[in-house]
Amino acid sequence: MIKRIRTVVFILLAFGVGLAEAKELKLLNASYDPTRELYQDFNAAFAKHWQAQTGNQLTIQQSHGGSGKQARAVIDGLEADVVTLALAYDINAIAEKGKLLPADWQTRLPNHSAPYTSTIVFLVRKGNPKGVKDWNDLVDSKVAVITPNPKTSGGARWNYLAAWGYALKKFGNDESKARDFVARLFKNVPVLDTGARGATTTFVQRGIGDVLIAWENEALLSLQESGPQSFELVIPSLSILAEPPVTWVDRVVRRHGTREVAEAYLRYLYTPEGQEIAAKHFYRPRLENVAQKYSSTFPKVNLFTIDEVFGGWQKAQKTHFSEGGIFDQIQQGNR
Amino acid sequence: MKTNGPMLAGFLILGVAGSGLHADDASTEQLIKQLQKRIEELELKVQALEGTNKPTVSTKDGQSKERMEELEQKVKVLERNRELDQEAAEAKAKEAPKITVGDQGFSLASANGNFALQLKGVLQVDSRTYFNDHGTVGNDGFILRRVRPVLQGTVFRDFDFLFVPDFGTANNGGNGGNAPTPQIQDAYLNYRYNNALQIQGGKFKAPIGLEQLQADRDVNFNERALPTDLVANRDLGFELHGDLFKGVASYAAGIFNGAGDARNSSLSAYQDNKAFEGRLFFQPFKTTSLSALQGFGLGVAGSYQKDQGTNTLSLPSNNGYATVGQQLFFAYNPTNRSVLADGEHWRLSPQGYYYYGPFGLLGEYVISDQKVSLAGAGLKTSAFLEHTAWQVAGSWVMTGEDATYGSVVPRRAFDPRNGGWGAWQLVARYSELNIDDATFPLFSNPLTSAHAAKEWSVGLNWYLNRNIKVSTSFSHTDFQGGGGKGSSPPASVTRQDENVLFTRVQLAF
Repeated sequence: MIKRIRTVVFILLAFGVGLAEAKELKLLNASYDPTRELYQDFNAAFAKHWQAQTGNQLTIQQSHGGSGKQARAVIDGLEADVVTLALAYDINAIAEKGKLLPADWQTRLPNHSAPYTSTIVFLVRKGNPKGVKDWNDLVDSKVAVITPNPKTSGGARWNYLAAWGYALKKFGNDESKARDFVARLFKNVPVLDTGARGATTTFVQRGIGDVLIAWENEALLSLQESGPQSFELVIPSLSILAEPPVTWVDRVVRRHGTREVAEAYLRYLYTPEGQEIAAKHFYRPRLENVAQKYSSTFPKVNLFTIDEVFGGWQKAQKTHFSEGGIFDQIQQGNR
Repeated sequence: MKTNGPMLAGFLILGVAGSGLHADDASTEQLIKQLQKRIEELELKVQALEGTNKPTVSTKDGQSKERMEELEQKVKVLERNRELDQEAAEAKAKEAPKITVGDQGFSLASANGNFALQLKGVLQVDSRTYFNDHGTVGNDGFILRRVRPVLQGTVFRDFDFLFVPDFGTANNGGNGGNAPTPQIQDAYLNYRYNNALQIQGGKFKAPIGLEQLQADRDVNFNERALPTDLVANRDLGFELHGDLFKGVASYAAGIFNGAGDARNSSLSAYQDNKAFEGRLFFQPFKTTSLSALQGFGLGVAGSYQKDQGTNTLSLPSNNGYATVGQQLFFAYNPTNRSVLADGEHWRLSPQGYYYYGPFGLLGEYVISDQKVSLAGAGLKTSAFLEHTAWQVAGSWVMTGEDATYGSVVPRRAFDPRNGGWGAWQLVARYSELNIDDATFPLFSNPLTSAHAAKEWSVGLNWYLNRNIKVSTSFSHTDFQGGGGKGSSPPASVTRQDENVLFTRVQLAF
């Protein structure tokens, strides 16, 4: 009997130990530059919602930076449960290079996994001293243009492609003229920040440049914070429909055991509450009734999509922003 | 002429600025300051000119203002680009591999910490002086107790490794001046899923003895107390381990080749049967606000192995048990026969410690129950022998630093020129080892081997800094039984009490 007890004790010692540790529920959202304020509010709302639904406490951490840099960080090991980036290409990179999520991630949530949209507009100084009205004003050598670096910033890539799309339309789809147009525009850029928020700082706080090419939400936020006595919004005749996508990172949520809460977090962005928060932070809501409510906030803009003009992100990235691509060639020529 | 001066100066500045763009950061900064100063001077001049020539300069005023704004923009652009360059340099520095040299050793690590390599080491130079040992030759003197370079690191973030060879005498004792045989003390790979779930494979300390599991650099005395005689030292196998609830509970459970009492496993198996070894340890108040109880820990450990057939490798090291002076006081040495391990061997060890401020208390109890039999011609005789040992050890850091299961860290490192004297610690302990009565006389000669050893020690440790420790201690051991004729251990050891003075100079980083 004693012998058996001894054996049981040792087996218990060897294998009977508890392996599970009570987990504190935490989520890390790796996002791009200008979404700080949006997710501060959204996180608080979702944590409250989650606690009401499940009784569990949830801590949500945010990490922000240029969209491309954030994607690189996740590929390199930043354990983000969800990514809410500026463009689908950056999440595709996480799927392809990091193998952290499936290639068809964009089909998992409605609207190609983009719960809100935005576009690209101009912010100019009060009184619009340089008379900037449209994209063609930005190639005037007397106009200093502020935009971040498309190599590191998702927003900057949208800016660049919006300008390219305008030029294509203006010059009857003449690619060489479009290239010349964009080259002249970038010749007027004295400072290339790594992210959209940095570019806003350069323009708004440092007082550099005559016009900031910006996310609509970023421009409206600057107007709200600085007041109409400092800046004015200029809506170009044509711009691009920006669809910042979101998804959960499968391998990370599996490891953290946060798959359920990560998906719930992102789906909450599509709810009336989530859409309302997005609209308050100047992101265009998808839900019709919320969009209606905030229609006065968002001016009407003629928009084209990246698929229509560039054949999708993969193609646009390869042609324009890859190593030695058109943007690199333009910058080389402008030196 | 009135405005040509400032204009000319402006162009000159621009010329200087243009050439300055290629200079390094320091000169760029200087240049920006110069430009700012010049702009201020120019502004003053323009204002002065405006005051004296108002009616004639309205168009030129506008040009000057425009020019000033242009200059101002250029300065701002220069400043902003410099900021961005600095940010880029900082970001690049963050991505650069980190090289660290300090009291934790030498380390190289990738910027993200996923890959790291550390070079550490332990060097212990000891002396042992035995009193009244009736002329036993070769036990007094200086020894290199441990000479261990330590190579440890991480690959792919979650895989840790450790490799520790030993060139000291730890493995072959004071072997009479023979050259030491370098041995691999630790060599393992650990996969860390998270703190709660890790799996480790290789050779490392068996998860049994509390003092045995304490790092060699952190033990309070030169030699561990008598309970360590009854537990395996290092074993070869795989272990699942981790910390739960922020370290409130920790566990280790594994399957090993098995090692006899106080033995170090060899680098291969000596039998097919394996040993199960495990330990559960709790620090129930660790995360509470009860500071007086945070340093309290209690646990239980054990092992089980059924030896396959008969062998001597499952018996204790040197077929017996040694004093803290590392002299054999008990051996399986029956007259004309030899003893073999022959069946089950289990150990059980309740253990605990308590640390509060400068005070520390550590205690453990060990049972080692092993089936042995007599080899050779004659009646086949076997028995389960249950040896026990226990210890209580206390410590007090006189200079007020915290006593811990780990290292004592001096508040002020030894630096007499600046009033630093390191940390000083008093230590004392009592321990016993009792041999099962059934051992005698069939499995051990009662005339030479003791059936109990009782030891007390006192000592003083001086921690000069995190890396250097100087210590001295005195240990007294008296024996029950043994003491008969014979010029070799255990008879020569048990014939009198053991009184030994230890000193140690230790470098550990």
